[in-house]
Amino acid sequence: MIDPFTLSMVLIAALALCGLSVGLAMMCGSFLYLILKDLTFPRGFDPSIATETLLQGLFNGYTLLAIPLFILAADIMNIGSLADRLLRFCQALVGRFRGGLGHVNVVSSVIFSGMSGSAVADAVGMGKIIISMMTRDGKYTPAYAAAITAATATVGPIIPPSIPMVLYALVSDTSVGYLFAAGMMPGLLMALMMGLMNWWIARRRNFPTDEAVPLRDLPRVTFEAFPALMLPVILLGGIYGGIMTPTEAAAVAAAYALFISVILYRSVSFVAFWEALRGGSKSAGAIGILIAGSLTFNYVITREDVPNDLAAFLAGFDLGPVGFMIAINMLLLALGCVLEGGAIILIVIPILMPAVLAMGIDPVHFGVVAVVNAMLGLITPPYGLLLFIVSSITREPVGKVVREIWPFILALLVALGIITFVPDFVLWFPRLLGYQG
Amino acid sequence: MERARHLADRISHYANHLAAALLLSMFVVFILQILFRYVLGWPVLWTVEWVTIAWLWGILFAFAFVIKTSDMIRLDILYNAVPDRLRRGMDVFTGLTTAAIFAYTLPHAWEYVTFMGIERTAAFRWPFDIVFAIYIPFHIAVIIRMLLVAWSGLKGKRPVDETLLDPEGHDYD
Repeated sequence: MIDPFTLSMVLIAALALCGLSVGLAMMCGSFLYLILKDLTFPRGFDPSIATETLLQGLFNGYTLLAIPLFILAADIMNIGSLADRLLRFCQALVGRFRGGLGHVNVVSSVIFSGMSGSAVADAVGMGKIIISMMTRDGKYTPAYAAAITAATATVGPIIPPSIPMVLYALVSDTSVGYLFAAGMMPGLLMALMMGLMNWWIARRRNFPTDEAVPLRDLPRVTFEAFPALMLPVILLGGIYGGIMTPTEAAAVAAAYALFISVILYRSVSFVAFWEALRGGSKSAGAIGILIAGSLTFNYVITREDVPNDLAAFLAGFDLGPVGFMIAINMLLLALGCVLEGGAIILIVIPILMPAVLAMGIDPVHFGVVAVVNAMLGLITPPYGLLLFIVSSITREPVGKVVREIWPFILALLVALGIITFVPDFVLWFPRLLGYQG
Repeated sequence: MERARHLADRISHYANHLAAALLLSMFVVFILQILFRYVLGWPVLWTVEWVTIAWLWGILFAFAFVIKTSDMIRLDILYNAVPDRLRRGMDVFTGLTTAAIFAYTLPHAWEYVTFMGIERTAAFRWPFDIVFAIYIPFHIAVIIRMLLVAWSGLKGKRPVDETLLDPEGHDYD
């Protein structure tokens, strides 16, 4: 008889490939494992263990509460006129250069990243507006506008706050605060790389220079955007000043976004707010079930001691940290072509963690590498959430967007290389805040 | 079948309002917690308990009654690429397997949830069988939903848009 563990893993893969929700597939596999174990070895195994693991895990996962709140915060920002004002500010700042709106795209993504923890929210909110600005007078092709918008959105969960990093913190037992801090420099580096790529393409293709916003308008535009610009300051200052936990910061972000949208900008109605809550509750249910499934799945692989076996197996190859990191990057990028970011982190990271630690790789550094890989997965075909979103905004086929996005993927891969092989660059900022690693 | 789908849509519509209210309560209680702790200096326990319970209920309730297949996190590359007949076969396979496994484990889940009645939460002193009660409707809803998937796979009547990805809804990535 094939052993229960192998059977349950095969079942998970089969169900997931046949299009079942990945979270449910993991639950089914875990239940099957416990059922078979219970039948062959009735002491110590009972299918109710999966139910217990799931319920206790969700009930005690206080850090995870940041996820629905960050989702809500981004939704509130997207229904208000906050994005408009930020874009006007960015346009006044960098719109005057060649390929100006491309630069506006990069800079606005960086600022929005400091408020939202989701790449998808970035592309949906800010992305829609900037794509229409870029394509308005035929200045840029829709495919280019779509490509640069999708590419710059990947910075969203790298610069803090970040939902995927909360997921990583859950499965790797690292501090959310330090993970957030570690994303700062890599996020800026990614933005710089994409800015350079836009500059190079703009020169080569002779993109128009936009009409510059007169300098005398700059104070007014800045003043209008100022309350929105303060949000990243409040968030990061609050977390690193020790005033609030990252979870509470998520609630503050949502409250502050609601406050400026309703009171200052008068741009959000109750109906719109309620719609944001309805959408947010659906997203929370979808990601929550994936988390629940991964909790039960983790129980199984830990019980079977898979992570430690894998660590011992990998140690036999004598890869060394460099070879190991190259292999991991390739694995994560390949998975990114077919899976969503959150799923990659919740499925793969727990299995790899002991091997990572055995290699002497810093878990916070590794977290940033993993999340950058997962975000690259959002723009690599055939399955790329961000590609689908910008393609539906511009009504350009995904294939055309993909042709335009390759240079940006290349730019991001260069950034990924630096992030992977220069840990001191990633860990500089968290160390400044007291991280001992 | 059409009537079942119509009914499901209505349940999903109303349940979504309830899930939204849960999320709103989490948000408000979190803000209260920050006010209590940092502004007024009162240490509070019940706020943490409320938000964790709302989160647990929110997830299981929303997954059972609100969200559609298109909102779920799925690996649909293969599913969308294969011919219709094979896809129907996949629906029957996932539907029946999942429903069977969940049906078999239902008594065990029931046992665990009711057993937890012996413990109470720290702040509200609510028994845990009440706190975890939402798990049972979730478990049963999965069985019913998966049987419907298998049935529509057999009949070939699963609407295309039911499984088509809605990328904008995936705003946790």
